[in-house]
Amino acid sequence: MGTQLWAILRDGFRESLDRKMFWVVATMTLLIAAVMACISFEPDKIVLLFGMWRIPAEGFDATTEMGKSQVLSVMIQFVMSTLLGWIGMMLMIIATADFYPSMMERGAIDVVLSKPIPRWVLFLFKYLGSLAFVLLQATLFVGLTFLVMGLRWNIWAPGYLMAIPLMVLLFSYIYCISVYVGVMTRSTVAAILISICAWAAYVVPPAALEVVESEPSLRANQALVRAIGFAAAIPPKTADIDYIASRWAKAGTSLDLMPQQQMTLPPEEMERLRERERSKIAANPAYSIGSSLLFEALVVGLAMWRFCRRDF
Amino acid sequence: MKDAVIDIRNVRKDFGRKVHALRGVSLRVGAGEVFGLLGPNGAGKSTLVKILLTIVRPTQAEGTLLGQPLGRRGPLAQVGYLPENLRFPAHLRGRQVLEHYAALAKVPRAVRRRRAAELLERVGMSSWGDTPASRYSKGMLQRLGIAQALMNDPKLVFLDEPTDGLDPLGRRDVRHMLADLTKRGKTVFLNSHILSELEMICDRVSILVQGQVAREGTIAQLTEHSVTYRITVAGGLDGVAAEVRKRGGVIDGNAISVAGRDAAAVNQLIDVLRGAGVLIESVTPQRFSLEDVFVEAVHGRGVGAALEAER
Repeated sequence: MGTQLWAILRDGFRESLDRKMFWVVATMTLLIAAVMACISFEPDKIVLLFGMWRIPAEGFDATTEMGKSQVLSVMIQFVMSTLLGWIGMMLMIIATADFYPSMMERGAIDVVLSKPIPRWVLFLFKYLGSLAFVLLQATLFVGLTFLVMGLRWNIWAPGYLMAIPLMVLLFSYIYCISVYVGVMTRSTVAAILISICAWAAYVVPPAALEVVESEPSLRANQALVRAIGFAAAIPPKTADIDYIASRWAKAGTSLDLMPQQQMTLPPEEMERLRERERSKIAANPAYSIGSSLLFEALVVGLAMWRFCRRDF
Repeated sequence: MKDAVIDIRNVRKDFGRKVHALRGVSLRVGAGEVFGLLGPNGAGKSTLVKILLTIVRPTQAEGTLLGQPLGRRGPLAQVGYLPENLRFPAHLRGRQVLEHYAALAKVPRAVRRRRAAELLERVGMSSWGDTPASRYSKGMLQRLGIAQALMNDPKLVFLDEPTDGLDPLGRRDVRHMLADLTKRGKTVFLNSHILSELEMICDRVSILVQGQVAREGTIAQLTEHSVTYRITVAGGLDGVAAEVRKRGGVIDGNAISVAGRDAAAVNQLIDVLRGAGVLIESVTPQRFSLEDVFVEAVHGRGVGAALEAER
């Protein structure tokens, strides 16, 4: 069976490379890494284009542990919330949404199913092969930015590389919906639309909870807080990923866990946030990832069951 | 019949409660045979093949494929399949297509490479092996599809409309390829609408109509039951027309067609004609083509009547 499994995985890899979107995202990654490489830090200054410009940054010193912590927090936020969270995720959903519908097209699926390979193996390894798209992008992005941070900014945080599997994980929470819809409807458009809706459903409750908790008047409404908290607790826990990434990135270093943008808040508010941050980061990643993976396994399992049972 | 490669009994397939695609099909195909499955659109030919290949689940089925119970995937390692309306992944090149599907059929890497080169050469595509399959014409895709079906050196090959999209030279090449396969002891199961080709290639055929086997046998068996005698006369038949019709003859100008293999009945009719002074120019036994048999099977009429309707 090794020959067959390797063939399916390699096909997923080739299919990823064949997508124009793959190269668009890869180009974006290279540009971002190049821009980052043009930035360096001096005490109270951000230096652009290798000394061409120096922008004053009062109180910011990336050569200190606090400064490095701030930079790393920004990077984690950037990778998990910006690159993958919005632009990258959208592009990757679009690029991978037709993997299953195109495999299941009449005339294409017939040949594949006439081979001596169990359908569940075909389905599952196609799924893993499809994740190659994100794995390659994540490796490229995190790898390059890791090198830039280390070589240009002297921030070596090996834990930052854990963002690679976490990005793949985060993507897979949404991709499973895309696959389910793709298998049920054989429609790429439906797969894209519904997985974007699902993504919004994952993201909105945790974001709403942030808003409610940060606004004292809303925070006073316990029923509201509980309702949104309940919705935010339903897996997959996409919002936990950046906390887990932050925690793992700074593991084994003396870097502070607080995100950079919260450093300027009043002391009592900062302490409250710090406490909340600690409680979140202290939350068991195994529980967060485990429950989310369970959700993903359920969705993938349903799609696989349908794929295995249906006539083509 | 030689050892049965396909031996199925009472295969049924219902899609929902109203569509009965197959209504108890039984077939036996011997090793080394070229077997043709005919039928009008919607007769259930592709469904039957897909059931044999585990692509479609039967509502009911008994029997074996290559000696193993239907529904097992093991025998598929020794089966090749060319589906109708074939599509290949757009991201693969011709050679990669062959190697990919061969890998799914558990063909070792070294063998895949060698066979891909050989088969590309054999289907006249060796200079196109490194071109993306998405750029191929329909005929080229069909050639590549045939090569794909042979990559695992199968014992049994299912070809669904193999000459679809091919030019006359391509069709001839396919026929030669099929002849070569049977020489090497392979069994070929052919679905086609091009009856003249099946007549040239197949050892046996089965005609499927509305999910049931309407006719089955060798081409000779199917057509020998469908013989007619054509008697050509000089002059008119006015005096004997009623008697000719009474004896089953169909008059067409100065010719009479008599359906059936009963030479004695034809001789009696000749005696009637001679007795009436009609000058007989020729008496020719005519064997019907597979197409005539097909039309008869589909319309459920006698060959003579079918022919008359055609005229």
